[in-house]
Amino acid sequence: MQEFTWPGRTAETELAFDLEKAALRREFEQRLEECGTLAFRVARGVLRNVADAEDVAQEAILRSYRRFARLRDPSRFRAWLVRIAFRLALDHERSARRREHRETAWANGQPKATAEDIASSNEFGRRLQLAMAALSEKSRLVLVLTSIDGHSLEEVAELLQLPVGTVKSRLHSARKQLAGKLR
Amino acid sequence: MTCNKYKNPLLLAAACNGKLDAEIARHVKRCSTCRMTLRSERELFLRIDSSLRARVNEDPRPGFLAELRLRVSQKSAARPGLDRVWHVAGAAWALVLLAMFYPLITARQSSFHKNLQTPTIEVPRSSGIAQSGHAHEALGVQFRHHFKRPAIHGAVSRQPEVLVPPDEQKAFTQFVACVARHDAIAQAVVTPAADNSVNRNTELPQVHSVDIADLQLHRGRQEEWISQTGGSE
Repeated sequence: MQEFTWPGRTAETELAFDLEKAALRREFEQRLEECGTLAFRVARGVLRNVADAEDVAQEAILRSYRRFARLRDPSRFRAWLVRIAFRLALDHERSARRREHRETAWANGQPKATAEDIASSNEFGRRLQLAMAALSEKSRLVLVLTSIDGHSLEEVAELLQLPVGTVKSRLHSARKQLAGKLR
Repeated sequence: MTCNKYKNPLLLAAACNGKLDAEIARHVKRCSTCRMTLRSERELFLRIDSSLRARVNEDPRPGFLAELRLRVSQKSAARPGLDRVWHVAGAAWALVLLAMFYPLITARQSSFHKNLQTPTIEVPRSSGIAQSGHAHEALGVQFRHHFKRPAIHGAVSRQPEVLVPPDEQKAFTQFVACVARHDAIAQAVVTPAADNSVNRNTELPQVHSVDIADLQLHRGRQEEWISQTGGSE
């Protein structure tokens, strides 16, 4: 098949374009190892399901790859990816919640779970998930990022481009709110 | 009461997981309720932190990164030039569609506006009036309905307009038809009286100013008149 060439574009410019693209791809792949896990963890902090978190992380990575060339400051890539993953995860969670509402409305006539079922399921985890969903997005993001291993308060502050004091106060208020709901 | 005083600092200390103030520590040593509160609060925060950490630091399944790399390479293998070709083709197709349907749309719009205007039928007044059911149209009189049709600005007719209430339209149409048939009574109503000799009630009697002046009586002449008549009255 003959290669497509834009009118007015020479073979040299095509080659330069391809080389630039290859360089970008290499640069992106170098970051993929670390950032793929980070995106997954951020999504996992929001979503209950591992498979959903993987889907969201994959989508976030692909989106960031599509726009990688447009990123002005490559050193901000992690922060950028974190925000994309967080937002996508929130969207996913909202749509999942809507779906759940629909399904529970449908299944209202179904027999309810027994006490044994509830005890066997991770009740605390479920309540924690609900309490987290009630938090503001800012507090939630801080809570998730500070919970990731190896993320100090300073690193989170740098990722979010916020003063350390703000991160501390958000974290404190988020934990207090969570405890208030779980008490 | 004393415990209430220490409640907030206790919760704060539990949330921060920090050291207790000397005063609070002394109180906690003495008060078993506050000791229990502090312990349960610390446990709660510990549990929150541990379950959050356990969840967030979970690793993706082993094949996840490899799959990601594959997806990225697939994405980069797709020629962006071809994407652009599709964009250009889509835009061109949209233009072609617009060019095809634009005359149709404009024609429909103009016919729609025409339908909105009050219909008028131009019939030269000199021509013989048709013996049709639409005599009012033939006369060049147009009805304006009180409802249903929106007023169109700019659609100004030069013909006289007659506002007819809906319940009188039938009667009015009959009347117009009579006029059209040169019915004598209808003609008499419509045609202004040609004979100027007809005395109209609306005419005022003409009074000359001289007559009015004569009616005025001066004091001197009044006395003279009284003496003449003898002032018997």
